[in-house]
Amino acid sequence: MTLKADIKILIVDDMTTMRKIIKNMLTQIGFTNITEADDGAVAWPMIQNAIKEGSPYEFIVSDWNMPQMSGLDLLKNVRATEGLEKLPFLMITAEAEQGNVVIAVKAGVSNFIVKPFSPQVLKEKIDKIFK
Amino acid sequence: MAADTSFIDFSRPFVDACKNIFTTMVSCNLEAQKPQIKSDSTSRGDITAVIGLSGELEKGGKKTPYKAMLVLAFPYETYFKVASVMLSETYTTYHPDIQDLGGEIVNMIMGNAKRDLKNLGYSSNMAIPSIIEGKGHSIKYPAGTTVVLIPFDSPNGPLYMELCYSTAE
Repeated sequence: MTLKADIKILIVDDMTTMRKIIKNMLTQIGFTNITEADDGAVAWPMIQNAIKEGSPYEFIVSDWNMPQMSGLDLLKNVRATEGLEKLPFLMITAEAEQGNVVIAVKAGVSNFIVKPFSPQVLKEKIDKIFK
Repeated sequence: MAADTSFIDFSRPFVDACKNIFTTMVSCNLEAQKPQIKSDSTSRGDITAVIGLSGELEKGGKKTPYKAMLVLAFPYETYFKVASVMLSETYTTYHPDIQDLGGEIVNMIMGNAKRDLKNLGYSSNMAIPSIIEGKGHSIKYPAGTTVVLIPFDSPNGPLYMELCYSTAE
């Protein structure tokens, strides 16, 4: 892996099992510094606090559908924040419709994965984001 | 549903999505068995994931509202084996870490099926999945719907898909 193994990653998903699956895959790929949040509404203050503390997240992996704040709204908050306009943001969704991709791209997503996916696919998407 | 062929068209995206998810994330192939009409409400599994779907079927310029429900029922052994593969840990009991796994699987099936259903003329909105656990539990189906049971064999044990569907006609 050409990326640093300890880049600060935040996984955002309301499903415990999917967070664990994504964390396992990222660990398999070689990443070591992974934090989790169970909703966009939980992740957003974590992202803001990390900036204040001088240790911002360097990569966000977020589900789309979450009960309080969706991944799309989280992405919009991130992109509207000075200094986060280019923060790598990978969106994950169960919904395979093309329209969703267009919406996410317009909102500034870095890349997009439709579930189900393998560790290899996740790695390819990450490689494209950080190339 | 008016005719068997319509039901086959409607059910195929769910069967294909389920197979795809198990191939990609559980590293195993599912083999669908002969579908059958289910006439009782007892789950064929010990852990059952349920998700609703509603929308409109557009055919010949006419829009008909419809409601559907997808059920995926796992015997405990199958659920624990599937969870062990997906989460890379060994599970032998119904642990809190794996309680929402069934919900995540039906969510993925529904999300994938939506794309193919759209090509068949169905617009669709997914509900939030729920889980029922326990030996011999029953499932509450929408009134007036026919329930079709599609058993699957897998190297991790059997699992059971159920689909029910009704229109406002």
